[in-house]
Amino acid sequence: MFADGRRRWVAWAGVVALALHLAALLVLGFELRSVRAIEAVTGGWPQGVGIRFRADALGIVFALISSSVLFTAMLHEALRGVRSRAFPALVLFLAAGLTGLFFTADVFNFFVFFELSMISAYVLSVYGEERKQIGGALIFAVVNLLGSFLFLIAVGAIYHVTGTLDMRAIAIRFDDVEAASAIMIAVTVFVAFGVKLGLFPFHFWLPPLYTGARPAVAAILAGALANIGSYGLIRFGAGILPNELRFGSVVILLLGVASIVYGSAQALSRRAVGEVLAYSAIGQAGYILVALAVGGPVGYAAAVLYSVVNALNKVLLFLAIGLRGWLVGAAFVVGGFSVAGVPPTAGFFAKIAMFQTGLAAERPVLIVALIFVGSALSFVYMFQIYQHEYWRTEQVGPESSRVRRAVVVALALVVVGLGVWPEPMLALAQEAAAVLPGGRP
Amino acid sequence: MIVLLSAVIGILFGAGAFLMLKPDLFRVVIGMVVISNAANLTLMASGLSRGRAPIHPIAEGEPVADPLVQAMTLTAIVIGFGVTALLLSLVYRVYASHETVDLDDLSHREARVSQELEREEVEI
Repeated sequence: MFADGRRRWVAWAGVVALALHLAALLVLGFELRSVRAIEAVTGGWPQGVGIRFRADALGIVFALISSSVLFTAMLHEALRGVRSRAFPALVLFLAAGLTGLFFTADVFNFFVFFELSMISAYVLSVYGEERKQIGGALIFAVVNLLGSFLFLIAVGAIYHVTGTLDMRAIAIRFDDVEAASAIMIAVTVFVAFGVKLGLFPFHFWLPPLYTGARPAVAAILAGALANIGSYGLIRFGAGILPNELRFGSVVILLLGVASIVYGSAQALSRRAVGEVLAYSAIGQAGYILVALAVGGPVGYAAAVLYSVVNALNKVLLFLAIGLRGWLVGAAFVVGGFSVAGVPPTAGFFAKIAMFQTGLAAERPVLIVALIFVGSALSFVYMFQIYQHEYWRTEQVGPESSRVRRAVVVALALVVVGLGVWPEPMLALAQEAAAVLPGGRP
Repeated sequence: MIVLLSAVIGILFGAGAFLMLKPDLFRVVIGMVVISNAANLTLMASGLSRGRAPIHPIAEGEPVADPLVQAMTLTAIVIGFGVTALLLSLVYRVYASHETVDLDDLSHREARVSQELEREEVEI
């Protein structure tokens, strides 16, 4: 941990560690194909006393995507040359925090892992040492800390009304909780995760942060850290508080719509790539919210699928903007098409899932129209920055090394590959949704 | 007791939120600390029960204080401590590179810098 991250071997040790982590998660995923969930109780305590860890389809999907993102970003940065002592260690910390968060079955433990990953992210966000960036990082830290403490207050409230911290027990006992307290708790949890995801009214910290950050850091923040928000909303909203989610579905739907419209409109009016992608992230978060508000097996599966595809797109785009040379523009276009939902990319199937969700909703015409307009807008702004970056401006600076371009091109091929052969991804999303109550078809 | 605690938590949270809205970054950090303590008190209040310390052996039939909230609060205090240190170091970094910790000053400076940049571009 105290090894200097700027040395080549330390950075590569980090890459190897993340590759092993990814391999271990893949093994766990294969084991999960035959059973519903794998559980472990810490410290060998009997069930109900010790803190539970529970790996199920929903957790493994998010853990796999987050750790692939971290692995890719670390690889990219190791090839570029790490410039900060602590970078490899922080990425590994983040990997540990995120994995724990996706597998824990205890709400307080969830908070601890959540803080572990957030603290690594706060430190990561100042990586690069640019003057402007520190301000963005400070706003990010303060706003997200406020979100974390709100979540902590919600944990206290949940413990007070249910007398337990175990997610399964909370879900059962929440049926008897007084409606007023239940709604208050649900709103607090929603705000806490809304801040993390960067939804419309809680988004203001996001653009300054993504604009100044180094590509690898922006990729990590958008592709791995934002998953906390979407996973938290799905796990807590759909998994633990489904009644409250249904009760507030109109508000959630409206916030999702506001996010989509606001994010797309702002992205259209910007020229700097980082800023466009940041506002695009706000818009994309809105789709997840819309899918969650509609709910049911179709909606939950769409929310999971959309989170995964969105993480992939953002990593591809953020890593591609820093590079110069042959094929980089093509990789960027693949990412842009995937954001807009043009076949044959993974984004196409995410959009299809959204359309299916729209058809399952109460007012299908409105939602389908909104998704269509949102996709069209995202196509326009993605193409606009592509034009601005790769056609109009001179390609300044030397060509990036071939290996680094290969990483980005490989990522683009994955996005296309998932668009050509989407069955495993779709099946995984459906399985993840089936974990939730009301998510079983 | 619960009413008293709720009032204290409410006042603490309000004071913290007020401090966070100040332009001075040190006050923002202090506001964060106050809010974190409001959260810690909420945790304590969530399992408030009177009784003996829950240390083995426990006599039958005697009430015992809830140890879980205390453990949670301890963890939360430690996390809050770490986060405060981190925030203060960030503020110090801001001071080291901008020589001010006032957000109004910072935005003035940034506006001036970007204006100068634009003027240079025009001249070019």
